[in-house]
Amino acid sequence: MLLSSKALQISRLRSAGRCLKISGWVLVPTYLVMLAAIYAAFLYAPTERVMGDVQRIFYFHVSAAIVSFAVFIGVFLGGIGYLVTRDRFWDSLAASSVDVGLFLTAIVLTTGPIWSKPAWNVWLKWDDPRVLTELILLVICVAYVILRTAFPEGHRKYAVCAVFGIIGALDVPIIYMSVHWWNTFHPVVITMSEVKLDPMMQQAGLVALSAFLLLALVLLLQRVSIRLHDMITKDILKNLREQE
Amino acid sequence: MRVLGQIWTMAAKDLTLTARSTHSFLTTLFFALLILVIFNFAFQPGVEATRLSLPGILWVALLFPGIIQLNNSFQREQEQGTFQAILLSPVDRGTFFLSKCLSNWIFLICIDMFILLAFTVLFNPRVTLRFLMVVPIILVASAGFTAVGTLFAAMVVSLRAREVVFPVLFFSIIIPIILAAVSATQEILLREQLEYVGKWIQILVAFDVIFLSAGFLVFEYVVVE
Repeated sequence: MLLSSKALQISRLRSAGRCLKISGWVLVPTYLVMLAAIYAAFLYAPTERVMGDVQRIFYFHVSAAIVSFAVFIGVFLGGIGYLVTRDRFWDSLAASSVDVGLFLTAIVLTTGPIWSKPAWNVWLKWDDPRVLTELILLVICVAYVILRTAFPEGHRKYAVCAVFGIIGALDVPIIYMSVHWWNTFHPVVITMSEVKLDPMMQQAGLVALSAFLLLALVLLLQRVSIRLHDMITKDILKNLREQE
Repeated sequence: MRVLGQIWTMAAKDLTLTARSTHSFLTTLFFALLILVIFNFAFQPGVEATRLSLPGILWVALLFPGIIQLNNSFQREQEQGTFQAILLSPVDRGTFFLSKCLSNWIFLICIDMFILLAFTVLFNPRVTLRFLMVVPIILVASAGFTAVGTLFAAMVVSLRAREVVFPVLFFSIIIPIILAAVSATQEILLREQLEYVGKWIQILVAFDVIFLSAGFLVFEYVVVE
């Protein structure tokens, strides 16, 4: 038992180290692409004709929104992985994806009002399907965190969180669809769908998107590694207490 | 066929127990009626603004009693220790989940019909054949509520804080059903033409199918101790 738990700890240490190593490799390109994104958004992209400079927040806002959707893939895979293998690495992956999701949805919902107040003179446009979808994503992430804190450590906690993560991830496309239809059903004052982006704006948007993708990846890997280290430390502490 | 028989047997057991102790049914119903009465005070009756918010009022009244019932789905099993017995019986865990869903669904529908009646009396919407179209929407939406609610109830059954945790989980997931159900009801009660009702029902059915199958598949992981 002791030996197998030691072997488990070593394998966990290895995967934690691997995560850290990969995140270290990705870190430098991330910094570079982030700098490029700032350059592209503030200097390279032309100023929008109607909204002016405030439109430049669009590059960060939209990129964070797209990546916040992608994060739920991690939650889904982590959940399924845990239920199938019972390996806590997958649980850490799911929980860390939710952490990154919280961060990204918070960015989207703070940059949104900064843009929408000068542009449309409202802080939050509640009838906008994208605002609503993003808000629901945030709510699901918060619910996941609440669920996680409510359970004592153990297999049941990880299984239950995995199930909630899977259900939440399955919910995302339905939310998107229903909110989209809800929007077509209600009269819309301002719509963005006809807005055509200048090619230079598109390029700046792509750079910002890659910056956010890389940033999310780095954060995710670091979070997973921290969670694994945390797990190992707690295990060692428990063993020491038992020996006493 | 055997599975259907098992589902029905277990659901019938739950329904018999509920029918014998009318206490939970009556209390839930009374709670729903209270909500409607409070809404009747909160919104001035007969005013155009109140008429426009009727769909929302109806769905809040339908939703809250449902939470109480769903949250307590496994309470009896938990308190009397019959959970283990059911898990030990030669029945698939997924089948157990579906039977619980069925009994919860039938319970909710019975309550919902009373609520609809009380709503009609208190808020006086135009009762035509079209108004009855709300009924299928209630049937499909409650199936979605039960699928998600039953699964989550099993997840939090052992938690001390489940009274708080359950609604948080439940509401965050069922927002699309509420959206679809309220929008469809809005169209039925307030609009001239029924353009999107079919689409909303499609969303509701898709939600039901996805979450009933997901619950069926993952339920066994939720009930292990």
